[in-house]
Amino acid sequence: MNLIEVKHLKTYFYSDEGVNKAVEDVSFEIPQGKTVCIVGESGSGKSITAMSIMQLIDYPGKIVGGEILLEGRNLLELSDAQMRKVRGREISMIFQEPMTSLNPSYTVGYQIDEALRLHHKHLNKKQRHAKVIEAMELVGIPDPAEKYHEYPFKLSGGQRQRVMIAIAMACEPKLLIADEPTTALDVTIQAQVLDLMKKLQDETGTSILFITHDLGVVYQIADEVVVMYRGHIVEKASAKELFDDPRHPYTRALLNSIPKPGITPRKSRLETVDDSVDYLAFPKEIR
Amino acid sequence: MSQTVFQIEHLKKYYEINLGLFKKPKIIKAVDDISFDVRKGEILSLVGESGCGKSTTAKLILKIEDPTDGAILFEGKNIMEFSAKELAEYRTKVQIIFQDPYSSLNPRWKVGKIIGEPLVLNSDMTPEQIKERVLYLMDRVGMRPEWYDRYPHQFSGGQRQRIGIARALALKPEVIICDEPVSALDVSIQAQVLNLLLDLQEEFDLTYIFISHDLSVVNHISDRIVVMYYGHIVEMKSAEELFNNPEHEYTRKLLSAIPVIKAAS
Repeated sequence: MNLIEVKHLKTYFYSDEGVNKAVEDVSFEIPQGKTVCIVGESGSGKSITAMSIMQLIDYPGKIVGGEILLEGRNLLELSDAQMRKVRGREISMIFQEPMTSLNPSYTVGYQIDEALRLHHKHLNKKQRHAKVIEAMELVGIPDPAEKYHEYPFKLSGGQRQRVMIAIAMACEPKLLIADEPTTALDVTIQAQVLDLMKKLQDETGTSILFITHDLGVVYQIADEVVVMYRGHIVEKASAKELFDDPRHPYTRALLNSIPKPGITPRKSRLETVDDSVDYLAFPKEIR
Repeated sequence: MSQTVFQIEHLKKYYEINLGLFKKPKIIKAVDDISFDVRKGEILSLVGESGCGKSTTAKLILKIEDPTDGAILFEGKNIMEFSAKELAEYRTKVQIIFQDPYSSLNPRWKVGKIIGEPLVLNSDMTPEQIKERVLYLMDRVGMRPEWYDRYPHQFSGGQRQRIGIARALALKPEVIICDEPVSALDVSIQAQVLNLLLDLQEEFDLTYIFISHDLSVVNHISDRIVVMYYGHIVEMKSAEELFNNPEHEYTRKLLSAIPVIKAAS
Protein backbone atom coordinates (compact mmCIF):
# COMPACT_ATOMS: atom_id res chain seq x y z
CA MET A 1 0.00 0.00 0.00
CA ASN A 2 1.21 3.50 -0.76
CA LEU A 3 1.47 5.90 2.14
CA ILE A 4 2.26 8.88 -0.05
CA GLU A 5 1.47 9.51 -3.68
CA VAL A 6 3.00 12.53 -5.32
CA LYS A 7 1.26 13.31 -8.59
CA HIS A 8 2.50 15.77 -11.21
CA LEU A 9 4.06 18.04 -8.61
CA LYS A 10 5.27 21.39 -9.89
CA THR A 11 7.15 23.87 -7.72
CA TYR A 12 8.37 27.06 -9.35
CA PHE A 13 10.49 29.94 -8.13
CA TYR A 14 9.71 33.38 -9.47
CA SER A 15 12.27 36.14 -9.92
CA ASP A 16 12.83 39.21 -12.07
CA GLU A 17 14.84 37.07 -14.42
CA GLY A 18 12.00 34.66 -15.03
CA VAL A 19 10.58 31.44 -13.70
CA ASN A 20 12.82 28.71 -12.35
CA LYS A 21 11.04 25.39 -12.68
CA ALA A 22 12.73 23.72 -9.72
CA VAL A 23 10.35 20.76 -9.71
CA GLU A 24 8.60 19.98 -12.99
CA ASP A 25 5.91 17.31 -13.21
CA VAL A 26 7.30 14.93 -10.61
CA SER A 27 5.30 11.80 -9.72
CA PHE A 28 6.29 8.97 -7.40
CA GLU A 29 4.93 6.84 -4.58
CA ILE A 30 6.22 5.98 -1.14
CA PRO A 31 5.00 2.52 -0.10
CA GLN A 32 4.14 1.77 3.53
CA GLY A 33 7.24 0.85 5.55
CA LYS A 34 9.67 1.27 2.64
CA THR A 35 12.55 3.61 1.93
CA VAL A 36 12.47 5.73 -1.20
CA CYS A 37 15.64 7.60 -2.16
CA ILE A 38 15.66 10.70 -4.30
CA VAL A 39 19.14 11.03 -5.75
CA GLY A 40 20.49 13.91 -7.78
CA GLU A 41 23.11 16.63 -7.85
CA SER A 42 22.83 20.09 -6.35
CA GLY A 43 20.13 21.99 -8.15
CA SER A 44 18.29 18.87 -9.31
CA GLY A 45 15.22 19.71 -7.23
CA LYS A 46 15.49 16.83 -4.77
CA SER A 47 15.35 18.99 -1.64
CA ILE A 48 12.62 21.20 -3.09
CA THR A 49 10.54 18.06 -3.68
CA ALA A 50 10.93 17.12 -0.01
CA MET A 51 10.17 20.66 1.12
CA SER A 52 7.08 20.66 -1.08
CA ILE A 53 5.75 17.57 0.70
CA MET A 54 6.24 19.39 4.02
CA GLN A 55 4.88 22.58 2.41
CA LEU A 56 7.85 24.55 3.62
CA ILE A 57 8.27 26.43 0.35
CA ASP A 58 8.63 30.14 0.98
CA TYR A 59 8.19 33.15 -1.27
CA PRO A 60 9.33 33.51 -4.08
CA GLY A 61 8.71 29.78 -4.44
CA LYS A 62 5.27 28.32 -4.97
CA ILE A 63 3.70 24.92 -5.48
CA VAL A 64 1.82 25.58 -8.70
CA GLY A 65 0.38 22.20 -9.53
CA GLY A 66 -0.11 18.57 -8.69
CA GLU A 67 -1.30 16.58 -5.72
CA ILE A 68 0.39 15.17 -2.64
CA LEU A 69 -1.78 12.41 -1.22
CA LEU A 70 -1.14 11.16 2.32
CA GLU A 71 -3.29 8.04 2.70
CA GLY A 72 -5.58 9.46 0.04
CA ARG A 73 -5.86 12.95 1.63
CA ASN A 74 -4.51 15.78 -0.54
CA LEU A 75 -2.12 17.76 1.65
CA LEU A 76 -2.18 20.70 -0.75
CA GLU A 77 -5.84 21.32 0.09
CA LEU A 78 -5.32 21.51 3.85
CA SER A 79 -5.44 24.81 5.73
CA ASP A 80 -2.29 26.10 7.41
CA ALA A 81 -3.59 24.99 10.80
CA GLN A 82 -4.37 21.51 9.55
CA MET A 83 -0.97 21.27 7.88
CA ARG A 84 0.78 22.26 11.13
CA LYS A 85 -0.77 19.17 12.73
CA VAL A 86 0.56 16.99 9.94
CA ARG A 87 4.10 18.33 10.29
CA GLY A 88 5.93 16.75 13.17
CA ARG A 89 3.19 14.26 13.95
CA GLU A 90 2.47 12.47 10.69
CA ILE A 91 5.45 13.64 8.66
CA SER A 92 8.68 14.72 10.27
CA MET A 93 11.99 15.74 8.87
CA ILE A 94 15.69 15.59 9.69
CA PHE A 95 18.29 17.81 8.11
CA GLN A 96 21.85 17.64 6.91
CA GLU A 97 23.51 19.85 9.48
CA PRO A 98 23.38 18.29 12.93
CA MET A 99 25.62 21.11 14.15
CA THR A 100 23.19 23.92 13.39
CA SER A 101 19.72 22.39 13.48
CA LEU A 102 19.58 21.99 17.25
CA ASN A 103 18.97 25.00 19.47
CA PRO A 104 22.19 25.61 21.41
CA SER A 105 20.43 27.17 24.41
CA TYR A 106 18.09 24.33 25.32
CA THR A 107 18.94 20.91 26.68
CA VAL A 108 18.69 17.89 24.43
CA GLY A 109 15.84 16.40 26.47
CA TYR A 110 13.83 19.62 26.31
CA GLN A 111 14.12 19.68 22.54
CA ILE A 112 12.99 16.08 22.12
CA ASP A 113 10.16 16.78 24.57
CA GLU A 114 9.02 19.77 22.51
CA ALA A 115 7.52 17.59 19.76
CA LEU A 116 5.52 15.68 22.38
CA ARG A 117 4.38 18.88 24.13
CA LEU A 118 2.96 20.16 20.87
CA HIS A 119 1.43 17.03 19.45
CA HIS A 120 0.58 14.82 22.43
CA LYS A 121 -1.17 17.23 24.76
CA HIS A 122 -2.90 14.42 26.66
CA LEU A 123 0.41 13.26 28.15
CA ASN A 124 1.56 14.66 31.48
CA LYS A 125 5.11 15.69 32.30
CA LYS A 126 6.11 12.36 33.79
CA GLN A 127 4.75 10.35 30.87
CA ARG A 128 6.51 12.65 28.42
CA HIS A 129 9.79 12.30 30.29
CA ALA A 130 9.52 8.54 30.09
CA LYS A 131 8.77 8.76 26.36
CA VAL A 132 11.78 11.03 25.75
CA ILE A 133 14.07 8.61 27.57
CA GLU A 134 12.58 5.79 25.52
CA ALA A 135 13.19 7.69 22.28
CA MET A 136 16.79 8.40 23.31
CA GLU A 137 17.33 4.72 24.11
CA LEU A 138 15.82 3.78 20.77
CA VAL A 139 18.33 5.86 18.81
CA GLY A 140 21.23 4.54 20.86
CA ILE A 141 22.23 7.51 23.00
CA PRO A 142 24.16 6.13 25.97
CA ASP A 143 23.02 7.18 29.51
CA PRO A 144 19.80 8.84 28.32
CA ALA A 145 18.78 9.96 31.82
CA GLU A 146 22.02 11.91 32.13
CA LYS A 147 22.18 13.13 28.51
CA TYR A 148 18.63 14.51 28.89
CA HIS A 149 20.10 17.49 30.72
CA GLU A 150 23.07 18.07 28.39
CA TYR A 151 23.35 20.90 25.87
CA PRO A 152 23.98 20.11 22.18
CA PHE A 153 27.55 21.48 22.16
CA LYS A 154 28.65 18.62 24.38
CA LEU A 155 27.64 16.02 21.82
CA SER A 156 29.55 14.82 18.75
CA GLY A 157 28.13 15.11 15.22
CA GLY A 158 26.90 11.52 15.21
CA GLN A 159 25.26 11.96 18.63
CA ARG A 160 23.52 15.14 17.50
CA GLN A 161 22.16 13.43 14.42
CA ARG A 162 20.84 10.71 16.74
CA VAL A 163 19.13 13.42 18.79
CA MET A 164 17.62 14.87 15.59
CA ILE A 165 16.30 11.42 14.71
CA ALA A 166 14.92 11.02 18.24
CA ILE A 167 13.06 14.34 17.86
CA ALA A 168 11.71 13.27 14.48
CA MET A 169 10.67 9.84 15.74
CA ALA A 170 9.21 11.01 19.08
CA CYS A 171 5.67 11.26 17.70
CA GLU A 172 5.97 8.05 15.70
CA PRO A 173 5.43 9.69 12.32
CA LYS A 174 4.10 7.81 9.32
CA LEU A 175 6.75 9.35 7.12
CA LEU A 176 10.27 10.44 7.98
CA ILE A 177 11.91 12.75 5.46
CA ALA A 178 15.70 12.71 5.75
CA ASP A 179 17.49 15.39 3.76
CA GLU A 180 21.16 14.35 3.43
CA PRO A 181 21.28 13.29 7.09
CA THR A 182 24.71 11.65 6.87
CA THR A 183 26.56 13.96 4.48
CA ALA A 184 28.30 15.88 7.26
CA LEU A 185 29.35 12.74 9.12
CA ASP A 186 32.44 10.53 9.00
CA VAL A 187 32.03 7.27 7.08
CA THR A 188 31.98 4.96 10.09
CA ILE A 189 29.46 7.22 11.86
CA GLN A 190 27.45 7.40 8.64
CA ALA A 191 27.23 3.60 8.59
CA GLN A 192 25.96 3.65 12.21
CA VAL A 193 23.29 6.26 11.45
CA LEU A 194 22.08 4.37 8.37
CA ASP A 195 21.89 1.14 10.39
CA LEU A 196 19.93 3.00 13.05
CA MET A 197 17.42 4.29 10.51
CA LYS A 198 16.91 0.81 9.10
CA LYS A 199 16.46 -0.61 12.60
CA LEU A 200 13.90 2.05 13.50
CA GLN A 201 12.02 1.35 10.30
CA ASP A 202 11.85 -2.37 11.09
CA GLU A 203 10.57 -1.63 14.59
CA THR A 204 8.07 1.13 13.86
CA GLY A 205 7.06 0.56 10.23
CA THR A 206 7.76 4.18 9.31
CA SER A 207 8.21 5.01 5.65
CA ILE A 208 11.35 6.97 4.82
CA LEU A 209 11.97 9.49 2.06
CA PHE A 210 15.73 9.82 1.86
CA ILE A 211 17.31 12.67 -0.08
CA THR A 212 20.96 12.26 -1.03
CA HIS A 213 23.56 12.88 -3.71
CA ASP A 214 25.60 9.89 -2.59
CA LEU A 215 24.88 6.74 -4.63
CA GLY A 216 26.78 4.66 -2.10
CA VAL A 217 24.24 5.63 0.56
CA VAL A 218 21.40 4.87 -1.85
CA TYR A 219 22.84 1.41 -2.36
CA GLN A 220 22.81 0.78 1.38
CA ILE A 221 19.40 2.05 2.32
CA ALA A 222 16.97 2.32 -0.62
CA ASP A 223 14.10 0.06 -1.63
CA GLU A 224 13.02 2.35 -4.45
CA VAL A 225 15.11 5.00 -6.20
CA VAL A 226 14.07 8.18 -7.99
CA VAL A 227 16.82 9.88 -10.02
CA MET A 228 16.27 13.60 -10.54
CA TYR A 229 17.98 15.89 -13.02
CA ARG A 230 17.19 19.59 -13.46
CA GLY A 231 13.75 19.32 -11.86
CA HIS A 232 12.66 16.21 -13.71
CA ILE A 233 12.60 12.54 -12.84
CA VAL A 234 14.80 10.78 -15.40
CA GLU A 235 14.72 7.29 -13.93
CA LYS A 236 12.63 5.44 -11.38
CA ALA A 237 13.25 1.83 -10.40
CA SER A 238 13.74 -0.50 -7.49
CA ALA A 239 17.23 -0.24 -6.00
CA LYS A 240 18.16 -3.66 -7.31
CA GLU A 241 17.02 -2.87 -10.85
CA LEU A 242 18.76 0.48 -10.82
CA PHE A 243 22.15 -0.82 -9.75
CA ASP A 244 22.00 -4.03 -11.82
CA ASP A 245 20.73 -2.40 -14.95
CA PRO A 246 20.83 1.41 -15.01
CA ARG A 247 19.06 2.50 -18.16
CA HIS A 248 19.03 6.28 -18.41
CA PRO A 249 22.27 7.83 -19.76
CA TYR A 250 22.33 10.30 -16.86
CA THR A 251 22.06 7.54 -14.25
CA ARG A 252 24.86 5.66 -15.97
CA ALA A 253 27.09 8.72 -16.12
CA LEU A 254 26.44 9.34 -12.43
CA LEU A 255 27.29 5.74 -11.51
CA ASN A 256 30.42 5.76 -13.65
CA SER A 257 31.73 8.97 -12.12
CA ILE A 258 32.35 7.19 -8.79
CA PRO A 259 35.61 5.26 -8.49
CA LYS A 260 34.81 1.68 -7.49
CA PRO A 261 37.55 -0.06 -5.52
CA GLY A 262 38.65 -3.25 -7.23
CA ILE A 263 36.76 -2.45 -10.45
CA THR A 264 37.84 0.98 -11.69
CA PRO A 265 41.55 0.80 -12.65
CA ARG A 266 43.60 2.96 -10.30
CA LYS A 267 44.40 6.44 -11.67
CA SER A 268 42.24 5.89 -14.76
CA ARG A 269 40.26 8.96 -15.81
CA LEU A 270 36.67 8.77 -14.57
CA GLU A 271 33.65 9.23 -16.77
CA THR A 272 31.83 12.48 -16.01
CA VAL A 273 28.39 13.90 -16.50
CA ASP A 274 28.76 15.70 -19.83
CA ASP A 275 27.58 19.31 -19.59
CA SER A 276 27.06 19.49 -23.34
CA VAL A 277 24.58 16.59 -23.38
CA ASP A 278 20.90 17.37 -22.88
CA TYR A 279 19.98 14.39 -20.74
CA LEU A 280 16.33 15.43 -20.71
CA ALA A 281 16.13 14.64 -24.42
CA PHE A 282 16.39 10.92 -23.65
CA PRO A 283 13.19 9.04 -22.79
CA LYS A 284 12.42 8.72 -19.08
CA GLU A 285 13.02 5.28 -17.64
CA ILE A 286 10.14 4.58 -15.28
CA ARG A 287 9.95 1.04 -13.96
CA MET B 1 64.39 4.14 -5.67
CA SER B 2 62.85 7.46 -6.35
CA GLN B 3 63.98 10.61 -4.67
CA THR B 4 62.56 11.56 -1.28
CA VAL B 5 60.94 15.00 -1.11
CA PHE B 6 59.80 15.01 2.49
CA GLN B 7 60.99 13.08 5.49
CA ILE B 8 58.74 13.45 8.49
CA GLU B 9 60.46 12.26 11.64
CA HIS B 10 58.74 11.71 14.99
CA LEU B 11 56.50 14.68 14.42
CA LYS B 12 54.40 15.81 17.38
CA LYS B 13 51.93 18.62 17.84
CA TYR B 14 50.24 19.11 21.20
CA TYR B 15 47.70 21.78 21.99
CA GLU B 16 47.05 23.03 25.49
CA ILE B 17 43.50 23.84 26.43
CA ASN B 18 42.97 26.00 29.48
CA LEU B 19 40.02 24.71 31.43
CA GLY B 20 40.04 27.52 33.99
CA LEU B 21 42.24 29.48 36.31
CA PHE B 22 42.76 26.78 38.91
CA LYS B 23 42.61 23.74 36.71
CA LYS B 24 45.50 22.03 35.03
CA PRO B 25 45.48 22.69 31.28
CA LYS B 26 44.37 19.71 29.24
CA ILE B 27 46.78 18.53 26.56
CA ILE B 28 45.39 17.45 23.22
CA LYS B 29 47.80 15.30 21.26
CA ALA B 30 46.67 16.20 17.74
CA VAL B 31 49.67 14.59 16.12
CA ASP B 32 51.59 12.16 18.26
CA ASP B 33 54.93 10.83 17.03
CA ILE B 34 54.35 10.18 13.35
CA SER B 35 57.06 9.39 10.79
CA PHE B 36 56.71 8.93 7.05
CA ASP B 37 58.36 10.01 3.83
CA VAL B 38 57.00 11.44 0.61
CA ARG B 39 58.69 10.43 -2.63
CA LYS B 40 59.01 12.56 -5.71
CA GLY B 41 56.17 12.22 -8.19
CA GLU B 42 53.90 10.12 -6.01
CA ILE B 43 50.44 10.69 -4.62
CA LEU B 44 50.56 10.01 -0.92
CA SER B 45 47.25 10.12 0.91
CA LEU B 46 46.53 10.80 4.55
CA VAL B 47 43.19 9.31 5.55
CA GLY B 48 41.25 9.21 8.76
CA GLU B 49 38.17 10.64 10.41
CA SER B 50 37.70 14.19 11.64
CA GLY B 51 40.04 14.88 14.51
CA CYS B 52 42.61 12.23 13.56
CA GLY B 53 45.32 14.84 12.91
CA LYS B 54 45.53 14.74 9.13
CA SER B 55 44.92 18.46 8.63
CA THR B 56 47.21 19.34 11.51
CA THR B 57 49.94 17.37 9.73
CA ALA B 58 49.30 19.45 6.60
CA LYS B 59 49.56 22.67 8.61
CA LEU B 60 52.86 21.56 10.09
CA ILE B 61 54.26 20.68 6.66
CA LEU B 62 53.20 24.09 5.33
CA LYS B 63 54.80 25.66 8.40
CA ILE B 64 51.59 27.44 9.29
CA GLU B 65 52.12 25.97 12.74
CA ASP B 66 55.28 24.84 14.48
CA PRO B 67 55.59 21.31 15.79
CA THR B 68 55.94 20.52 19.50
CA ASP B 69 58.68 18.06 18.66
CA GLY B 70 60.15 16.20 15.70
CA ALA B 71 61.45 17.27 12.32
CA ILE B 72 60.23 17.84 8.80
CA LEU B 73 62.98 17.52 6.23
CA PHE B 74 62.34 19.01 2.78
CA GLU B 75 64.89 17.76 0.27
CA GLY B 76 67.14 16.83 3.18
CA LYS B 77 66.90 20.10 5.09
CA ASN B 78 64.91 20.75 8.26
CA ILE B 79 62.23 23.35 7.51
CA MET B 80 62.50 24.66 11.06
CA GLU B 81 66.07 25.78 10.36
CA PHE B 82 65.32 27.59 7.11
CA SER B 83 66.59 31.13 6.71
CA ALA B 84 64.04 33.76 5.69
CA LYS B 85 65.14 33.44 2.07
CA GLU B 86 64.96 29.66 2.11
CA LEU B 87 61.54 29.80 3.71
CA ALA B 88 60.24 32.17 1.04
CA GLU B 89 61.50 29.79 -1.60
CA TYR B 90 60.00 26.81 0.25
CA ARG B 91 56.63 28.51 0.28
CA THR B 92 56.68 28.80 -3.51
CA LYS B 93 57.57 25.14 -3.91
CA VAL B 94 54.85 23.78 -1.63
CA GLN B 95 51.30 24.88 -2.32
CA ILE B 96 47.87 23.96 -1.00
CA ILE B 97 44.39 23.46 -2.41
CA PHE B 98 41.64 23.91 0.15
CA GLN B 99 38.48 21.97 0.79
CA ASP B 100 35.95 24.76 0.61
CA PRO B 101 35.98 26.59 -2.71
CA TYR B 102 33.43 29.06 -1.31
CA SER B 103 35.36 30.56 1.57
CA SER B 104 38.90 30.22 0.26
CA LEU B 105 38.59 32.76 -2.57
CA ASN B 106 38.36 36.52 -2.02
CA PRO B 107 34.86 37.49 -3.19
CA ARG B 108 35.93 41.04 -4.11
CA TRP B 109 38.68 39.97 -6.46
CA LYS B 110 38.35 38.94 -10.08
CA VAL B 111 39.56 35.52 -11.15
CA GLY B 112 42.60 36.94 -12.95
CA LYS B 113 43.78 38.75 -9.85
CA ILE B 114 43.21 35.73 -7.59
CA ILE B 115 45.26 33.43 -9.81
CA GLY B 116 47.93 36.06 -10.52
CA GLU B 117 48.48 37.19 -6.92
CA PRO B 118 51.22 34.65 -6.10
CA LEU B 119 53.11 35.87 -9.19
CA VAL B 120 52.80 39.53 -8.17
CA LEU B 121 54.21 38.73 -4.75
CA ASN B 122 56.88 36.21 -5.62
CA SER B 123 58.19 36.98 -9.09
CA ASP B 124 59.56 39.94 -11.02
CA MET B 125 57.28 39.36 -13.97
CA THR B 126 55.67 42.35 -15.68
CA PRO B 127 51.86 42.69 -15.54
CA GLU B 128 51.66 41.57 -19.18
CA GLN B 129 53.72 38.46 -18.47
CA ILE B 130 51.58 37.71 -15.45
CA LYS B 131 48.39 38.00 -17.46
CA GLU B 132 49.81 35.71 -20.08
CA ARG B 133 50.77 33.13 -17.45
CA VAL B 134 47.35 33.38 -15.76
CA LEU B 135 45.59 32.78 -19.06
CA TYR B 136 47.85 29.81 -19.69
CA LEU B 137 47.02 28.38 -16.25
CA MET B 138 43.31 28.96 -16.80
CA ASP B 139 43.58 27.02 -20.04
CA ARG B 140 45.39 24.17 -18.29
CA VAL B 141 42.66 23.79 -15.66
CA GLY B 142 39.89 23.97 -18.24
CA MET B 143 38.65 27.54 -17.78
CA ARG B 144 37.73 29.85 -20.64
CA PRO B 145 39.87 33.00 -21.19
CA GLU B 146 36.79 35.25 -21.04
CA TRP B 147 36.31 34.27 -17.39
CA TYR B 148 39.43 36.31 -16.50
CA ASP B 149 37.32 39.31 -15.47
CA ARG B 150 34.63 37.47 -13.54
CA TYR B 151 34.12 37.24 -9.79
CA PRO B 152 34.14 33.96 -7.80
CA HIS B 153 30.40 34.16 -7.04
CA GLN B 154 29.68 33.74 -10.75
CA PHE B 155 31.07 30.22 -10.66
CA SER B 156 29.87 26.84 -9.41
CA GLY B 157 31.75 24.87 -6.76
CA GLY B 158 33.66 22.79 -9.30
CA GLN B 159 34.74 25.86 -11.29
CA ARG B 160 35.87 27.59 -8.11
CA GLN B 161 37.96 24.59 -7.21
CA ARG B 162 39.60 25.01 -10.64
CA ILE B 163 40.45 28.61 -9.72
CA GLY B 164 42.10 27.35 -6.51
CA ILE B 165 44.05 24.76 -8.47
CA ALA B 166 45.25 27.32 -11.06
CA ARG B 167 46.39 29.60 -8.24
CA ALA B 168 48.28 26.76 -6.58
CA LEU B 169 50.03 26.02 -9.88
CA ALA B 170 51.03 29.64 -10.54
CA LEU B 171 54.50 29.43 -9.00
CA LYS B 172 55.42 26.09 -10.56
CA PRO B 173 55.38 24.20 -7.27
CA GLU B 174 56.91 20.79 -6.70
CA VAL B 175 54.47 19.63 -4.07
CA ILE B 176 50.75 20.37 -3.73
CA ILE B 177 48.90 19.54 -0.56
CA CYS B 178 45.30 18.80 -1.46
CA ASP B 179 43.18 19.17 1.69
CA GLU B 180 39.89 17.40 0.94
CA PRO B 181 39.71 19.03 -2.50
CA VAL B 182 36.61 17.17 -3.66
CA SER B 183 34.63 16.62 -0.45
CA ALA B 184 32.40 19.64 -1.00
CA LEU B 185 31.57 18.72 -4.60
CA ASP B 186 28.88 16.66 -6.33
CA VAL B 187 30.02 13.22 -7.51
CA SER B 188 30.15 14.09 -11.20
CA ILE B 189 32.08 17.31 -10.49
CA GLN B 190 34.26 15.34 -8.11
CA ALA B 191 35.18 13.04 -11.01
CA GLN B 192 36.07 16.06 -13.18
CA VAL B 193 38.34 17.55 -10.52
CA LEU B 194 40.03 14.19 -9.83
CA ASN B 195 40.67 13.74 -13.56
CA LEU B 196 42.12 17.24 -13.71
CA LEU B 197 44.41 16.63 -10.72
CA LEU B 198 45.69 13.40 -12.30
CA ASP B 199 46.29 15.12 -15.68
CA LEU B 200 48.13 18.03 -14.06
CA GLN B 201 50.29 15.70 -12.03
CA GLU B 202 51.53 14.00 -15.18
CA GLU B 203 51.94 17.23 -17.10
CA PHE B 204 53.85 19.17 -14.44
CA ASP B 205 55.55 16.25 -12.67
CA LEU B 206 53.95 17.12 -9.33
CA THR B 207 53.96 15.38 -5.99
CA TYR B 208 50.65 15.37 -4.12
CA ILE B 209 49.93 14.96 -0.45
CA PHE B 210 46.25 14.18 -0.61
CA ILE B 211 44.12 14.51 2.50
CA SER B 212 40.72 12.86 2.52
CA HIS B 213 38.24 10.86 4.51
CA ASP B 214 36.78 9.23 1.39
CA LEU B 215 38.49 5.88 0.94
CA SER B 216 37.11 5.10 -2.50
CA VAL B 217 38.56 8.38 -3.82
CA VAL B 218 41.83 7.77 -1.99
CA ASN B 219 42.11 4.24 -3.32
CA HIS B 220 41.54 5.51 -6.84
CA ILE B 221 44.26 8.13 -6.97
CA SER B 222 46.93 7.15 -4.43
CA ASP B 223 50.23 5.38 -4.76
CA ARG B 224 50.60 5.02 -1.02
CA ILE B 225 48.18 5.54 1.84
CA VAL B 226 48.81 6.58 5.44
CA VAL B 227 45.91 5.78 7.76
CA MET B 228 45.73 8.01 10.84
CA TYR B 229 43.74 7.46 14.00
CA TYR B 230 43.77 9.75 17.05
CA GLY B 231 47.09 11.37 16.10
CA HIS B 232 48.89 8.14 15.33
CA ILE B 233 49.70 6.33 12.10
CA VAL B 234 48.02 2.95 12.31
CA GLU B 235 48.85 1.68 8.85
CA MET B 236 51.03 2.81 5.93
CA LYS B 237 51.36 0.88 2.68
CA SER B 238 50.66 0.96 -1.06
CA ALA B 239 47.06 1.56 -2.06
CA GLU B 240 46.81 -1.90 -3.55
CA GLU B 241 48.13 -3.67 -0.46
CA LEU B 242 45.94 -1.63 1.84
CA PHE B 243 42.79 -2.60 -0.02
CA ASN B 244 43.70 -6.24 -0.52
CA ASN B 245 45.17 -6.81 2.88
CA PRO B 246 44.17 -4.28 5.55
CA GLU B 247 45.86 -5.23 8.78
CA HIS B 248 44.76 -2.76 11.39
CA GLU B 249 41.29 -3.10 12.85
CA TYR B 250 40.51 0.58 12.25
CA THR B 251 41.47 0.31 8.56
CA ARG B 252 39.15 -2.68 8.20
CA LYS B 253 36.35 -0.77 9.85
CA LEU B 254 36.90 2.16 7.46
CA LEU B 255 36.99 -0.16 4.45
CA SER B 256 33.83 -1.98 5.42
CA ALA B 257 32.06 1.38 5.61
CA ILE B 258 32.65 1.98 1.88
CA PRO B 259 29.48 1.23 0.00
CA VAL B 260 30.10 -1.20 -2.83
CA ILE B 261 28.54 -0.35 -6.15
CA LYS B 262 28.80 -2.45 -9.25
CA ALA B 263 30.07 -0.84 -12.43
CA ALA B 264 27.49 0.45 -14.86
CA SER B 265 28.23 -0.59 -18.39
